[in-house]
Amino acid sequence: MANTLRLYLTCIRNTLDAAMCLQNFPCQEVERHNKPEVELKYVYWDQPGTSAESCRIPYCSFIKKALNVFLTFVIVLYTCMFDCCTCIFIFFFLFIMQVLICRNEAEKCLIEASINSLRISLKVKQADELENILTKKFLRFLSMRAEAFQVLRRKPVQGYDISFLITNYHCEDMQKHKLIDFIVQFMEDIDKEISELKMSMNTRGRLVATEFLKQFM
Amino acid sequence: MAAIEVHQFAQCITCHAWNSDHSMVAFCPNNNEVHIYKLFQDKWEKLHVLKKHDQIISGIDWSASSNKIVTVSHDRNSYVWNQEGSEWVPTLVILRLNRAALCAQWSPKENKFAVGSGAKTVCICYYEQENNWWVSKLIRKKHDSSVTSVAWHPNNILLATTSTDGKCRVFSTFIKGVDTRESKTGMTSDSKFGELIVQLDLSFSWAFGVNWSPSGNTLAYVGHNSMIYFVDDVGPSPLAQNVAFRDLPLRDVLFVSEKMVIGVGFDCNPMVFAADETGIWRFIKFLGERKTPSSGSKYGSQFSGAFGKFYGQSKYGVSNDGVETSRTSGGVHENCINCIVPLREGSTSRTTRFSTSGLDGKVVIWDVQNQEDLLDYL
Repeated sequence: MANTLRLYLTCIRNTLDAAMCLQNFPCQEVERHNKPEVELKYVYWDQPGTSAESCRIPYCSFIKKALNVFLTFVIVLYTCMFDCCTCIFIFFFLFIMQVLICRNEAEKCLIEASINSLRISLKVKQADELENILTKKFLRFLSMRAEAFQVLRRKPVQGYDISFLITNYHCEDMQKHKLIDFIVQFMEDIDKEISELKMSMNTRGRLVATEFLKQFM
Repeated sequence: MAAIEVHQFAQCITCHAWNSDHSMVAFCPNNNEVHIYKLFQDKWEKLHVLKKHDQIISGIDWSASSNKIVTVSHDRNSYVWNQEGSEWVPTLVILRLNRAALCAQWSPKENKFAVGSGAKTVCICYYEQENNWWVSKLIRKKHDSSVTSVAWHPNNILLATTSTDGKCRVFSTFIKGVDTRESKTGMTSDSKFGELIVQLDLSFSWAFGVNWSPSGNTLAYVGHNSMIYFVDDVGPSPLAQNVAFRDLPLRDVLFVSEKMVIGVGFDCNPMVFAADETGIWRFIKFLGERKTPSSGSKYGSQFSGAFGKFYGQSKYGVSNDGVETSRTSGGVHENCINCIVPLREGSTSRTTRFSTSGLDGKVVIWDVQNQEDLLDYL
């Protein structure tokens, strides 16, 4: 595997490890509700006492882990100019915690964390029109079967191809490191899957063209 | 080995409590029931199931001398369970909350208990003899967010709370007719019920888990930013120390002695913090054994992987394929620990044994007595 992909995935893995500190937390706005806080849209962002302040994550340990990787990224950036690895962190310390990890313009990963839930949105590399349509169809196929995956979100966040929603209940039922492994494995496989689809698509296209053109021989 | 007993009671445990001689344990298996197990000749057997709540139970406390169990739940109610014969009889406590109750603790004299809630209030409940009823008095409008944990000062008056607004607050809970003036030693005698003694604004993240030292001189609480805070001289001019550590954040803390604190949390392994002679707190070690080395070496390999680009890949021989799999904790607990309870023997202020429970459904009893390197701090 390319070295840059490994770093990209390691960065995501460490960020997830720090961000996935979730716990059962009943909603403090709506009575008798217990919903993923990351999905709630609060209107009163700047009023104290709303859940705005309940959307921070342990960024101290997270910074340590993520920045270590970030430094590695910078070194890689200097050493090999052709591997454009950048990593942008967006902190909204007061409000929701968001981390954006970009490998390049086309490939990025947005991690949003709150007290009882975590949302991971991925943008998969799409080099041309064909890959674009393949990715769209394939991920739509997966999203429609979201129940089978448990952590998959039915609809991706705007601007991304696929989103995962991990709540504290998933962390109770499943082991945290296995969950992280699943996400990382998914990211590793999705590229392979798309390029395989593209290959078989091309092969099939060529076959069809050959068969079609035979009648003119 | 610091863990002396490991019991797998359920799939997932939210909180647990012990009776006075530690022969019975009550816990909530992540639903609306409380299970009580009793030790019969090296075997734990389920004795009672307390079923009265209709949502997940978030806090249990068992009073040692009066043998009462208080449970609080996300359904906004609280019950005090009293053993009559072989049955546990519940008494409903009207908390007057409109959000979930999150934590509960008996006061040291066991004439009151405190309940923290998602309604940004704290309820102090006491028994009214004439009405045969538990009455609650509310501390309102002092918290900006959910109250995640409460802790009683040994003097039975002061109550420390932590909240998801990142602050730790200390209140006076003097109730006329329940507390006597003599019990307010050391504090200004004119503090009324619900008076805010001190507000500690050290954490810039959510605060969880608060505990007083056995003498009541030091207060410790944790923030979700992987920090633990120690506060001396709680009063008008408190002295605070922040200790940051490199691992995942803590959920709960416990003072084992005046100079030693155990923190449990998302790292699935209890952490030991101790104060040296000068009173400086620092992280000592993990209490459970850890198979994997610290993650420092992991980063080291990445750096050398990057440096490998300078010197040619073959020289460093770092295997570049495959992302390393996440470390497993390798400890006794396999998931986040969210509850730590002291096992006090008699009236000594020293606690060498304590139990932890977590989302992996285990209750583990730990003993720090057999840890030679920690004996100095006991």
